[in-house]
Amino acid sequence: MSFEPKILGIACNWCTYTGADLAGTTRLQYPQNLRVVRVMCSSRINPSFIFRAFQLGADGVLIGGCHPGDCHYNTGNLYARRRLAVTKKILEFSGLEPGRFRVEWISASEGNKFAEVVTEFTAQIKSLGPQTKFKISQ
Amino acid sequence: MTISFKQIEEKLKTEAKRLLESGQASVVLAYGKGYDEKHPMPYVARNPSDVANIVFNEYCNYNMARYLVRYPAGTKIAVAVKAADSRAVIQLIQEEKVKREDLVLLGIPVYGMKNPKTQEIIDGKTTGGLYNPVLYDILLGDEVHGQAIQSPYDVLAAYELMDKEARFAFWKKEFDKCIRCYACRKACPMCYCDPCFIDQNKPKWGDKSPQSHGNLMYHLTRFHHLAGRCIDCGECSRACPVDIPLYLFHKKVAKECEEMFGQAAGMSIEDKPALVNFRVDDSDKILE
Repeated sequence: MSFEPKILGIACNWCTYTGADLAGTTRLQYPQNLRVVRVMCSSRINPSFIFRAFQLGADGVLIGGCHPGDCHYNTGNLYARRRLAVTKKILEFSGLEPGRFRVEWISASEGNKFAEVVTEFTAQIKSLGPQTKFKISQ
Repeated sequence: MTISFKQIEEKLKTEAKRLLESGQASVVLAYGKGYDEKHPMPYVARNPSDVANIVFNEYCNYNMARYLVRYPAGTKIAVAVKAADSRAVIQLIQEEKVKREDLVLLGIPVYGMKNPKTQEIIDGKTTGGLYNPVLYDILLGDEVHGQAIQSPYDVLAAYELMDKEARFAFWKKEFDKCIRCYACRKACPMCYCDPCFIDQNKPKWGDKSPQSHGNLMYHLTRFHHLAGRCIDCGECSRACPVDIPLYLFHKKVAKECEEMFGQAAGMSIEDKPALVNFRVDDSDKILE
């Protein structure tokens, strides 16, 4: 059986989640490996969510937020950008493959981009293989 | 030029006595006798008669800024600070945990401090390349100059060159040693959350028993919480009973923060901590 990765998507309510909705209503095809969690803003994402996701067996984490400057709360994603950049560096220095974590800015009108990003990210995770470093062994 | 620790000790005593007698400070945070010379202890002088117990020698590594947040707001505190400690004070002022006007900073310009466990000189590793306090009211002794300036990030080079598999193996080995005594958290001047995220039960962020996954969660999140705030005093790794080189990871995060946000922690009272601040023109490249 081929490897089907589990990918956690954390999407901001106003842009990426709506964008995902648009991708759905326009009947765009993208892999089913993504499990989306909706949050109100990308700055609501506690970095521990990401560490925890990897521990609970996620093979990749994709974070979606509004384009900088378009945040529904004006400045939320600008804080999130700095914070998630640090998260990325920490994951990298601890030895996890940097390709397993990705942040994308996807607006509500970019259904196409959402489908593209998910397709590309899934392919990337498939090539990296299962994530075993952080996963809690049962 | 060598540092006269005796001279600093005398000056510390006279200043502490003067501050306590004049009422400018109601407590003085300094160093006191431990069970032997190599193990001085943090000491709180409250009366002018306590001052005789103050000592200062090359093993007085402790970061006394750790104890500032324990006193109620408005307490007048005098605190003995070395270079890294003064950055901790600045960082606490930035975070509005203490007020500048409540503090009297007794700056100690010093180098050649030693780790009592290994007898190793700690300058190159964990003083951030600084010898003179960044902020002080009274300087005990002359500013020191002429020491070789080392980049605080030099020690990282070997770890940055490792490939990710080796690096993961290294950190896994180190974190698996952790016995979860939380000495790192207790020694850290920036760890003042009550309760700490790891002590919370709802949500339960990580396992509290000393197992590999709980240890990983605790340490990675702690590194994240100290991002842009760690002032590189190295107390976490010296407090660690199983010698995990925590300062390396903290340094790496500090280095990345300095590169990405253009600001080192605790260098100026006017700054805001890097992660509670943003610039509209931060580059998206930092996410790559």
